[in-house]
Amino acid sequence: MKLCEFIRPASLSEARAVLSELGPKGMALAGGTALHFMQTKTPVAAVDITRLGLSYIRQEGDFFAIGATTPLSDIQRHRGHGWAMHEIARNISTHQIRNVSTIGGNICRVFPWADLPVVLLAMNARMVIYTGSEKEEEVAADDYFAAQPAKRFHGGNILTAVKVPVLKARQGFGSVKASRNAAAFSLVTVAALLELKDGKIKTARVSAGSAIPFPHRLPSVETALIGREAVSAVFKEAAAKSGADANWCAREGMSEDYTRQLAEVSLADALEKAAAYANGRTE
Amino acid sequence: MKADKNTVSFTLNGELKTFATEPDEKLLTLLRREGYRGTKYGCGQGTCGACTMILDGRAVYACLLYAKQAEGRSVRTIESAGTFEEPVEFQKELIAAGAVQCGYCIPGMVMSATALMETETVFEDEIVREYMDGNLCRCTGYEKIWIALRKVLDRREAADKTGRNSPAKGAK
Amino acid sequence: MKDERAGKFKQVNHSVTKIDALQLALGKDSYVADFVPRGALIIKMLWSPHPHANIRSIDVSIAEKMPGIKAVLWHGNVPRVAHCTAGQGFPEPSPYDTFMFDRKVRFVGDRVAAVAAETEEQALAAVAAIKVEYELLTPVFSLDEAMAKDAPVIHDEPEAHVPIPIPYEPKKNLVAHVACEAGDFEKGMKEADFRFDETFETPYAQHCPIEPYTTLAQIAPSGRIHITTSTQVPFHCRRIVALTLGIPVQKIRVIKPRIGGGFGCKQEILLEDVTAMFALRTGKPCFWQFNREETFRTGRTRHPFRVRIRAGVKKDGTISAIAMDAINNTGAYGGHGLTVVSCAGSKVLPLYHCENIHFDGKSYYTNLPVGGAYRGFGATQAFFAMESVMDEMAEAIGMDPMAFRQLNHIRSGEGSPIFAALGEGREGTPMTVGSNALAECIVKGAGAIGWQNRADWRTKTGRYRRGIGMACLMQGSSIPDIDMGSASIKINEDGSFNLNIGATDLGTGSDTVLAQIAAEELETTTDKMIVYSSDTDMTPFDVGAYASSTTYLSGEAVRKAAADAKRQILFTGAEMLGLKVEEVHCEDAHVLNEDGSKKVSYGDIASYSLYQKNQYQIIGTASHITKKSPPPFAAHFAEIEVDTWTGFIRVLNYVSTIDCGTAINPALCEGQTEGGTLNGISYALTEQYLFKNGRMMNASFADYHIYSMRDRPRVQAILVPSYEETGPFGAKSVSEICINGPAPVFANAIHNATGARIREFPFTPDKVLAAIQTVQKK
Repeated sequence: MKLCEFIRPASLSEARAVLSELGPKGMALAGGTALHFMQTKTPVAAVDITRLGLSYIRQEGDFFAIGATTPLSDIQRHRGHGWAMHEIARNISTHQIRNVSTIGGNICRVFPWADLPVVLLAMNARMVIYTGSEKEEEVAADDYFAAQPAKRFHGGNILTAVKVPVLKARQGFGSVKASRNAAAFSLVTVAALLELKDGKIKTARVSAGSAIPFPHRLPSVETALIGREAVSAVFKEAAAKSGADANWCAREGMSEDYTRQLAEVSLADALEKAAAYANGRTE
Repeated sequence: MKADKNTVSFTLNGELKTFATEPDEKLLTLLRREGYRGTKYGCGQGTCGACTMILDGRAVYACLLYAKQAEGRSVRTIESAGTFEEPVEFQKELIAAGAVQCGYCIPGMVMSATALMETETVFEDEIVREYMDGNLCRCTGYEKIWIALRKVLDRREAADKTGRNSPAKGAK
Repeated sequence: MKDERAGKFKQVNHSVTKIDALQLALGKDSYVADFVPRGALIIKMLWSPHPHANIRSIDVSIAEKMPGIKAVLWHGNVPRVAHCTAGQGFPEPSPYDTFMFDRKVRFVGDRVAAVAAETEEQALAAVAAIKVEYELLTPVFSLDEAMAKDAPVIHDEPEAHVPIPIPYEPKKNLVAHVACEAGDFEKGMKEADFRFDETFETPYAQHCPIEPYTTLAQIAPSGRIHITTSTQVPFHCRRIVALTLGIPVQKIRVIKPRIGGGFGCKQEILLEDVTAMFALRTGKPCFWQFNREETFRTGRTRHPFRVRIRAGVKKDGTISAIAMDAINNTGAYGGHGLTVVSCAGSKVLPLYHCENIHFDGKSYYTNLPVGGAYRGFGATQAFFAMESVMDEMAEAIGMDPMAFRQLNHIRSGEGSPIFAALGEGREGTPMTVGSNALAECIVKGAGAIGWQNRADWRTKTGRYRRGIGMACLMQGSSIPDIDMGSASIKINEDGSFNLNIGATDLGTGSDTVLAQIAAEELETTTDKMIVYSSDTDMTPFDVGAYASSTTYLSGEAVRKAAADAKRQILFTGAEMLGLKVEEVHCEDAHVLNEDGSKKVSYGDIASYSLYQKNQYQIIGTASHITKKSPPPFAAHFAEIEVDTWTGFIRVLNYVSTIDCGTAINPALCEGQTEGGTLNGISYALTEQYLFKNGRMMNASFADYHIYSMRDRPRVQAILVPSYEETGPFGAKSVSEICINGPAPVFANAIHNATGARIREFPFTPDKVLAAIQTVQKK
């Protein structure tokens, strides 16, 4: 990605105005680590949005609000009751990348290998978008990740925050990222959010990414969990249903069928983790 | 506020500097062009760590950053770490341990370790590995680098216990 | 077992501080890219996008007029000189099948045309503006395709030839063929109680030095060409650049500064010819650095091999016959094809007693990335096969695999018919093994891994299963009668010495090791040595860093040169003391008489000899050729945990023992062992080349997996001393052998964990899972 200009707006509204005017000739720049993967024929003007106060993590009522330009390493380090975002953050790329790569940068344009969309789908997060008016737009994850989100930002709109629900008692989150080594892109990333009641699964949100063309939830797996006991046999059985929802892809020279097998085991493992969390696991 | 298109100003190893640049120039290119050649090119893609430097206290890859992203910030390179007469502690331990083979990864390792020591006060193995996971080495198998680093960190932890009582930042 | 002589060493066998460690740790200017002058032109190459094609036409007319472009090179404007890019002694045992620029491209990543420009941006723009018309040819992507009847001929150019009489049949894509026999293989098989016939495949891999290939060429004020380059072979580089540019060797100087790793991939003249040509054409300094992608695609690689082992074993544990048929894929050019396949036999077959041995080695061209020298050099690939079959033989006769190896491995004083029969491209050198601490390596390693806890796979259940595996290994130390190293050492008036050596330090620390050897011989301290190495003008000849020869070969040259200087020091010291030479000796940088009552320091001797009386420069010079290649020995052990639901492997513990004779610098020997072993571990588990139509698709560290500090298995290196009489202060080589262990160790450990025997690697989870499921179905 070649840059022809570097603009540093002083406010969010100025940023939006500049982006809107530039259109395809402009691009919001946070960490910039994704630029390496984007090729354009003509150089583009970068609009630096990292100095607009959008880097923070704070609890606001029932949500953790994470500023869009919060680096992944801050998310990796943050702890709090009902917070589980660090689990995936510490497994993304390397230290130097995590220090620069932002949550917003990871979800405004979703690359096939992205891990955060998987987690945010499972957690039923809400994306906050500045559209120029005083009231920001909030988009639920199911809607936000229904298609490539990059399209939402073509007119100059800017993602300002991600709101992640504070996990309640009896709610549990678990994720698994299977990869060849620590820094590698994921072979398959899965995440699960379970709500338990009397040992049974009351609600379930299960999602996958990286091994499929675009991250999405797995409704067949979710259906196979509701009302059942939160035990290994149930998790295994539910995981085996994933093929109905997921178009598993061949990864790194290994077959689609291997990906399916890996994904099913990973799903079961993630569900175990989520159940353990709901039952009091702390780390 | 629009900075001058063709310059960038930042604090480099403690001194405020202004350099000629272009919007498209990467910080690694600028640094090496201006004589700070301890920061190295290994991949240009943000995967090997040979270009690690410290930006506002965080270890980052100079090859991925645009020079303009450093505007008004604090940049520290290997040139700020140690001299022939007074290498920093980690450099001394690396040398004593026999951990410097081809040496190409070492400045990056030193910078990542420096960021670790300036951010954390408790150095559990798992956390240390997370801080160092972006610096590749093909010569040493990391064994002696780890031993040297652990020596320095263990000493710090011991000193810290007998010294200040500051809460551990980001531990766990 | 540590020899009593080793206990008396003052400099060697001590972990002396590496001479350049401080400058490297501080980030001082050390590598080629640190010395590029302002105004140097930047070189970029147009690489072939096709695996096999004729170039019908090249039009550089637009490119050469673009802003900042100072020169363009292509087949139409450079000499057409057939040569070999592999850095080896002359004449090379390799086909001369390469041209600076050819009218044909033979792999994705082959050279097409190059530009030199004022900026990188301009160079890339000009490369994009070069118009090429290709006539696509059917590509050859595998050994089977290369060997097929009527296979496309990759090297059909009339100039391709071999400079020495060795088998070479390019019309059949055959690069090399070497074979030998001992005893009667068929008879040996008949005698066996159990017979095996298994074929193994090994993959592509890249060395991944953190510093990519980098070269700088400049025209000196004298008009000569100075090449500063990241190379393992400065002298071969000089010779080959002279040949390909058509200029005298006298006109060229090659300098190797510090380099950021090589591991064999820089035993190649891959950039220097073009860089020097641009310098000549433009009169300006020219700089060429591969990016990481280019290093993966165009850089040299590990030869993929197919190794078939047929073997017979008797119930009493005697190995009655071994046949190794090894075929390597040398890619588009043949440089190291023969020598690598020879070493598959020569460095593996002598390890175990066997009277009936058959070896056949072949090398074939394909339209894929080019095999080069890679640490281990064919032995690595062949040990995977041999050590797997060793375990299978042990199991068949119901013997513990460790006991089976202990029974059969070569001992001190023994020879092998293979030593004489197989060299590197020529016959070998008959040899009996001198130092050999393999037996002790095995016992020490077994103790460290907990071999006594090893249980049969049939007793293992559950999702996660653990297994322990082992392998025995050997390598060589130098190539006897073929390679030569030399050194010169002169004294200064403060008792310091300038040690000038051709030998090439790739980061291994050979400068330090050789300084230690010189200091030991001279009875002074290592810190008195000023080492200067690898400069074809200033240092005497050395073949360079390969074949594990620097300590054993160059080290002995250094020792001899130091001894030569010592004689002169004694002579002058005796003169100064008014004594006979027989009455004095050297000790602690002094010349003294027997009772120490009269002594004079080296500094005073130097001052006297340089300035005062009968003045002369005390300077020692020596060369060395080795007469044998004493093997280092190693026994590797690992415990792994296999996730039988996903096929993922976790390495719990890895023990890497090594007998390298006297470890001249123990810390550096450990470092070589730790680093080489970890390299072997990722080679076995995570590294691979993924191809699409001959194009390597995962050409970055993001997609080609090597370990970081976060996920690397820890390697425990154990030095087991012996004393090699023919080596300097008892030393043998250390750097290559360790990379040979992990692939067979893990193959054996996977079997011990799950009962699955896998005959190709990397052991990716899909392969492991499929193999486990096959076992479970039985």
